[in-house]
Amino acid sequence: MSMPSDQLELLIAGYVLGDLTPEEAAEFEQLLAKYPAIAEDVAQMQTSLERAYAPPDVPPPPHLRSAILNQVHLAEPLLDTSSTNSLPSPPAVFTARQQRFPWRRVFDLAAASIILALGFYNYRLQQALQTAQPSQPDAILTYSLQPIQAGSEASARVVVDPNTLEATLMVENLPPLPPNQVYVMWTVLEPNAPFTTDDKDAILTEVFRVDEQGNFTETLPVPVVYRVEGVVTNVAVTIEDAAAPQLHVGAPVVIAQPL
Amino acid sequence: MQSEQPGNQEASLPSQTDAELFLALRNGQAAALGVIYDRHAGLVYGLALQTLGNPQEAEDLTQDIFLTLARGSSYDPRRGSLRTFLAILTRSRSIDRIRSRSSKQKLADRCNPDLQQEVSSNTPLDHATQYEQSQEVQEALAQLSDSQQQILKMAYYDGLSQSEIATQLNIPLGTVKARARRGLLKLRQTLTSFTR
Repeated sequence: MSMPSDQLELLIAGYVLGDLTPEEAAEFEQLLAKYPAIAEDVAQMQTSLERAYAPPDVPPPPHLRSAILNQVHLAEPLLDTSSTNSLPSPPAVFTARQQRFPWRRVFDLAAASIILALGFYNYRLQQALQTAQPSQPDAILTYSLQPIQAGSEASARVVVDPNTLEATLMVENLPPLPPNQVYVMWTVLEPNAPFTTDDKDAILTEVFRVDEQGNFTETLPVPVVYRVEGVVTNVAVTIEDAAAPQLHVGAPVVIAQPL
Repeated sequence: MQSEQPGNQEASLPSQTDAELFLALRNGQAAALGVIYDRHAGLVYGLALQTLGNPQEAEDLTQDIFLTLARGSSYDPRRGSLRTFLAILTRSRSIDRIRSRSSKQKLADRCNPDLQQEVSSNTPLDHATQYEQSQEVQEALAQLSDSQQQILKMAYYDGLSQSEIATQLNIPLGTVKARARRGLLKLRQTLTSFTR
């Protein structure tokens, strides 16, 4: 699909400009499903638009990411969505979400269909992978977390792929917590590393709960610090207040260093 | 693909497309925002910094943009790319902030007329057109008709909706859309030919 038809190219331009009509969007979905290589044309079109009308990317200050994510985490505490209807006076964010619910269902159905069709990478990610992977893929990092408390059988294992900034977290035998508490996985950096951390040199990486057997497995995005050799000194799991896990007041339950 | 199991809703983020991440975010997976941020924060912050000219304001706006995305936005992944949506939203809100800043300044000028000339020479559009384009891009843009250039700039650069553009230029909405698409198509073809 190196040379799409004029009509298809106009649809791609419409997608990149964000102005497809519902009918065009449906047609575009079908074409994407039939010709996945269209993703490359989308990426080229997006790049062309930005070359002409956008400045080069500028990395924001490092602290901004955690500031934004902390606000979102605070607004959306870990809460079973099935129980939100029973809350007597839910926070504004949940009220808004409930009001949007019928729309969201419709949206979800529509979005699910486009996800099937849009089986292509975000163009920036794609570009990054295309350029990064063939050259020097970083080695997989494995952290084996052991319990602090003697006699505990708790353990966790974190396997990080620095190339995709994706990790698998596997937890075993951590005791289930009451509803007002959560487990938090922290990425601990060397002191004075040039990244935004809390006062314990840590970055909140994931908030989670374990099942009744004390187990939990998850694939999660991790901070870019894992790409910088020697910066991550440790990975640890603590118990935190579910309403404010970012405060980082708990002591490590399990902790490790890279193998 | 995402699981429907409640236990995995917070969990599965091996997501790779913006559409998947946006859907996950809509479904309460706040962590999806981190991935979206990593992909597009450079664009958003760069645009905000260029337009506002102030790192602190650019930082505030970047935060505003991503929180807007997390808390509810009009983005429809079927109709367009997330990246363009974020860029146009950033442009639009940057210019709103400059206008707000100018309005406050004008109010102050009533008490201090000496500053009036300085403000009037720094309108949002003046500021927005200060971006320097490469020779290659200038040559590619020169291949577009004046109308195509104007509409693309108004749409992507000035953050105007197509209906706003249609109103301002007094032409049908369909014409705006067609010229924008044809213009982008031509731009892509020309820029691609440069790199071959």
